[in-house]
Amino acid sequence: MKFRAKIIDVGCLNHFTRVVNTVSRLTKACVLRLTCDHLYFVLSGRVATGGVSMWCELSQVNFFDEFQLEGVSADANEIFLEVAPENFSRALKTAQNAKSVKIKLTKKTCPCLTLAAELPSLSSVSRVVTHDIPVDVIPRRLWHDFREPQMPDFDVSIYLPPLKTMKSVVDRMKNLSNYLVLEANLNGEMNLKIETDLVSVTTHFKELGNPPWGDDGSQSSSPTHRDPDLMAEARVDIKKLQQFLMGQQVNPSKAMCNIVHRRILHLIFLHEDVSLQYFIPAVV
Amino acid sequence: MKCVIEGNGVKVFGKAVHALSRIGNEIWLDPQEKGLAVRTVNSSQSAYACFCFTPLFFQQYIPDPDIQNGCEAVKCMLNMKCVLPLFRCASWKERRVDRCEISVNIPNSRVIFQFHCRHGITKTYNLGYQECEALQAVFPAHLCPNVLMAQSKLLGDIVVHFPVSQEEVTLSISSFKVTLKTFCEEENNCIKGMNTELMLHPDEFDYFQVGEDSAVTFCLKELRGLLSFAEPYGLPVNCQFGVAGQPVSFTVKDMTLEAHVVLSTLTDPNHESPSQPAPGDDCPVNVTNTSTAEITTCESPMETEVCVADGEHVASSQGSEVFNPDLHMRKMIQLHAPGEILPKLSLIPESALTTPVTPATSKIRSLLFGAVYSDGGKDKTADLPSLACASDTEDDGGTEE
Repeated sequence: MKFRAKIIDVGCLNHFTRVVNTVSRLTKACVLRLTCDHLYFVLSGRVATGGVSMWCELSQVNFFDEFQLEGVSADANEIFLEVAPENFSRALKTAQNAKSVKIKLTKKTCPCLTLAAELPSLSSVSRVVTHDIPVDVIPRRLWHDFREPQMPDFDVSIYLPPLKTMKSVVDRMKNLSNYLVLEANLNGEMNLKIETDLVSVTTHFKELGNPPWGDDGSQSSSPTHRDPDLMAEARVDIKKLQQFLMGQQVNPSKAMCNIVHRRILHLIFLHEDVSLQYFIPAVV
Repeated sequence: MKCVIEGNGVKVFGKAVHALSRIGNEIWLDPQEKGLAVRTVNSSQSAYACFCFTPLFFQQYIPDPDIQNGCEAVKCMLNMKCVLPLFRCASWKERRVDRCEISVNIPNSRVIFQFHCRHGITKTYNLGYQECEALQAVFPAHLCPNVLMAQSKLLGDIVVHFPVSQEEVTLSISSFKVTLKTFCEEENNCIKGMNTELMLHPDEFDYFQVGEDSAVTFCLKELRGLLSFAEPYGLPVNCQFGVAGQPVSFTVKDMTLEAHVVLSTLTDPNHESPSQPAPGDDCPVNVTNTSTAEITTCESPMETEVCVADGEHVASSQGSEVFNPDLHMRKMIQLHAPGEILPKLSLIPESALTTPVTPATSKIRSLLFGAVYSDGGKDKTADLPSLACASDTEDDGGTEE
């Protein structure tokens, strides 16, 4: 198994760092899947994480100047590594003004992702900082746990309101309740609701717009058959939603959510070269 | 002792106290002719820091108001927790404080910090102190084969790569490069955490001298205080060290103050350091520029160290009786016989830059450095050789650039 990659462009480096930072805010440990064309940060839904799962996909050509991969075997030319994104984030943090950053899979006392950054220095010879990030190689027999999630049969798909607004609403609601209901319809209306014994609060958003999925995806009921005013809702743990919103460092080009009524909240953020999907299961 | 610090100086003094608080829990005040020395040592005695403020720093500096009566300047030890809050909100204090007066009230055993603030407000803090022998580590800086001098910003840029929680780092030097990397005690630990290594070219340093290729491991946390003090003022930092096991010292100098941090380093378990007794041996020879008085008073502690440190390094780190600090305190008091008046004249010719060096060594308050005292297995930063040497830290000819 071999992996070598290099970033030269400072803009790409910053962008990559932001993605890693976002991932590190969402989870303490995740799986990094490397293929010839893509990098994926995957968190598969487990009881330990409260059933939350994440899929973050990057197209490697948009970030790396050099990218060489030799996977587990010829027919399975991929590498799956378990890594703590916080380490990755920390290693990248101080390399933001580097002339180049090289990432390699190495074996020190344990398998590591070695990040070597060439930094500007006061002398003719560059300063080199090397970080060894310990990783766990995931054997092939476990790869099926980290497959790309299927687009769920959603009932409603809607664009999200401006993240900043949504975040401040959710932050305040968190003080009042542990659970939040997110409901939306095909008329571009979304409500965030909390209800406790003493108080219930609802924030209404209008004219958000609905993504035109059209014939794409596995939608079971076509839009025309569904009453546009009918709300689909999901009651979720508010902390998980807040954690997701907190992690976003850059405003995505598109932010939307799909709701499977009373089952799953599927949040999708699309940037130019990165896509991030986050699944929060609904609670009763 | 009485001194007055004006506005901006209060901020600097406060920052110094902050830097010291990163190391120890007590603060020693030692008013001397050459200036006010403010010192601390950590609980395992493996890290020592001293800020010496010269008379230039103060609006007024009277080390010894009762000089006519033959009373010495009293040396005080205060609890850091009492002193730090006085200087905590540095930025706030800077705007509001016009001057600060520090005086010692001997009859009541109080150190009085009086802040004269704007709008006629005066804040007075009376802190109880413990009288004690001065704390001073004697460090043979001029014997260090390896010397680096760098702008504090460079060092700041270097340490930023290491997590704040990182304890030990290893500094390696050779003719081609200088490396700083995280230190892993055992193989297993490396698996959990990240390992970071930074490599620099000697050209990056303002002054680079490698006498002996070596790698020293010390606690980075304890250095950060000094670096955060030096960086805002853009002061260069001088770093001197030898082989593994010998302490490493960091010095920051200015017209008005001098700050030292001396840290113990881990010994290399692979070889007994035969050079152990060497500093002791060489000491009397090298300090030819110091007074005879100094040499003689130094000899006693040195001799004992040489005897014990001879060869069997492991035994000495087990807390042999020589390195029992109580014993040292006794020895220190022996050297400074009661009633002996400290010579007021400095016996060492003043250098152009440094303030007059008092014959501090003739008073030998040397507190032999930490690791020689601590148990081998207990502390990570154990196993220091003794620092005894005749010269005071300011004395080192080696650091004059």
